[in-house]
Amino acid sequence: MRQTSWLSWLPLRALRRVPGLTPGTRSLQRHLLLWLLLPQLVLWLAAASFTYQLADTYTNRAIDGSLSTASRALARQVKPSGSGLLIDFPRAAQDIIEADPDDRVFYMVSTPPGEFILGNSQVPPPPPIAEPRLGQPYLYDGTVHDPGGDSRREVNVRVVALYLAYGEPGKPQRMLVQVARSRASREELAQQILIDTTLPLSGLIVLMSIIVWGGIRGGLAPLARLRSVVESRAPNDLAPVRLEAAPEEVRGLARALNALLAEVRENVNTQKRFISDAAHQLRTPLAGLKSQTELALASATVGADPELRARLQRVHESATRSAHLVSQLLALARAEPEAAMAQSRTRFDLQRLAREVAAEQVPHALTAGIDLGSEDTDAAAASLCVLGNAMLIREAVVNLIDNAIRYAGRGASITVGVHGQGAQALLFVEDTGPGLPEADRERVFQRFARATHEGNGCGLGLAIVREIVERSSGSVVLEPVQPQGLRAVVRLPLVA
Amino acid sequence: MKLLLAEDDSILADALAASLKASGFDVEVASNGAVAEYLLLRHDFDIGVLDLGLPLIDGLTVLKKVRAAKPELPMMVLTALDGLEQRVAGLNAGADDYLTKPFDFPELEARIRALLRRTHGAAVQLTGLLRFDREARRATVDKTPLELSPREWTLLDLLLTQRDHVVTKEQIVQGWTPDPNEQNPGSIEVYIHRLRRKLDGSKVSIRTVRGLGYLLEVEV
Repeated sequence: MRQTSWLSWLPLRALRRVPGLTPGTRSLQRHLLLWLLLPQLVLWLAAASFTYQLADTYTNRAIDGSLSTASRALARQVKPSGSGLLIDFPRAAQDIIEADPDDRVFYMVSTPPGEFILGNSQVPPPPPIAEPRLGQPYLYDGTVHDPGGDSRREVNVRVVALYLAYGEPGKPQRMLVQVARSRASREELAQQILIDTTLPLSGLIVLMSIIVWGGIRGGLAPLARLRSVVESRAPNDLAPVRLEAAPEEVRGLARALNALLAEVRENVNTQKRFISDAAHQLRTPLAGLKSQTELALASATVGADPELRARLQRVHESATRSAHLVSQLLALARAEPEAAMAQSRTRFDLQRLAREVAAEQVPHALTAGIDLGSEDTDAAAASLCVLGNAMLIREAVVNLIDNAIRYAGRGASITVGVHGQGAQALLFVEDTGPGLPEADRERVFQRFARATHEGNGCGLGLAIVREIVERSSGSVVLEPVQPQGLRAVVRLPLVA
Repeated sequence: MKLLLAEDDSILADALAASLKASGFDVEVASNGAVAEYLLLRHDFDIGVLDLGLPLIDGLTVLKKVRAAKPELPMMVLTALDGLEQRVAGLNAGADDYLTKPFDFPELEARIRALLRRTHGAAVQLTGLLRFDREARRATVDKTPLELSPREWTLLDLLLTQRDHVVTKEQIVQGWTPDPNEQNPGSIEVYIHRLRRKLDGSKVSIRTVRGLGYLLEVEV
């Protein structure tokens, strides 16, 4: 049963699906950047909004204060005179109040309910208050039609209403003094404060982002290094990863990787040791089996019975094939990277090696009815030297010649030769046998792949050749020969 | 020819002993290193065939002790190990030849005979109807003496010692003269041609191996 994370019950689940919010397959760098900068952005917004509120409150308070003062000052100009009012409001003062076009001030003096005395009758009425307290300024917002220009344009205003008492004690009367001031200046002020505080804050955010981005990049650099180290290594290289001057987390990752590599290496080695030990252990009993069957085949009793002889011959062939397989498995284990790396690379003459191997194989070829020879080369010709493990390359050449002997068939001839071709040494083993269809020419390099079931091959020979040659920075291919035959061509880099 | 076979696998030892006896050897079998060492040191053998993985005392140790006591005794090593290191270790310990299991019996027999020929080089060698007496420096074919020039003698000597192996042109010119300036492979074919004519009727012939050299063949 699939285990469900408790997280799946939370709305976080939806959040986890948002691309970029979860590391997932995305870049860790982008993820970190996002999660470090997102809170900053939220903070920035909150700070801006809070600053605006605060600025608004303070400007309001300051303006409200000045409005109250203005209303009191205006009230002082209106003096009760008997049962009437004496207004002593010089034109000059009026002009000063109303002069600033950006900061419109409207005022009105009236005696409620509704008797207009002085000022601008459009000043919005105060909200109805049941029993207004005298001498206490009431503040509220409203709109006034712009008296100058377009009358439909409304101006937002802040209004103060001040109720005052006048008249005789027996006949109290109330007077309402209102002063309105356009909000424009207030908003402007608040905005100015907002801008003044958020601009440096934004700069700080940008600076912070750059620093955070740089920090993340620097912090993640060892990860990128680890990645490139792992990416650039050969698939069979199981040596520990080396990271210098890496932070603890990356070193931890590298350590974990190295622990895994060590385990894999150990497993691979154990397996190889097992193959090698098993192959060695198999050799003695196989030698016994072969010797016993050879002995039996030579005996007179068996010679007299053709059926028994044929059966014994099969046992012997089978033993020979098993022995060959065991040898090839060992050769393959030796050719594999771990073992090959441990063996030294030397500079040797490929031409000489090819001739030596061919000479060794001549008796074997003659037994199989095959004419094995080499290209005629004059002894004075320049040597063709390559760098590699001479023993392994020898094994490869033996395998190529052995293959040709196995499959070319009785009566065929095999020619071995080495040429220099540019910066490469070209070794070929050419036979006049039946050849190989094109479809099989690549397939036969795979382990245990065989093109034919004739012959006692085990299907490892060419796999070994390829393993060895590629290990020595070379290549091997099979080519058809006209009019008939097959040519195996090994190319190895020449050294001076 | 007295031969000691030291091999702990009884099935292999049994078959090898029987085959070697059939080939005319006087075979003694030792199934562990201690017995092999005792026999090789106390008795006179012409050749020792030693498995390296012997119980009690391992083959390499036996080989070193025998080599120290009897430097002339030819020793052939059989082993299930064929890595380069083991091969080098075996040859360093004094083995004269080395054969990896499993092998074909004819191969073992040929190697043993080649080893005996090499160490008993002075002995008279009979091949087909050819009798080659190195000590007296005389060769005969069916009792008729062969007139051989020094170069022809060296050539035939090489082909006989390296029977079953290709003799290369380099080996031939080196056998003729150690001076690299006088080594001329161009004349080899002339001498081969003459030698072939002289070996007519000896049941011994010389096969040309294309581009590689020459091989001695015996009619049976």
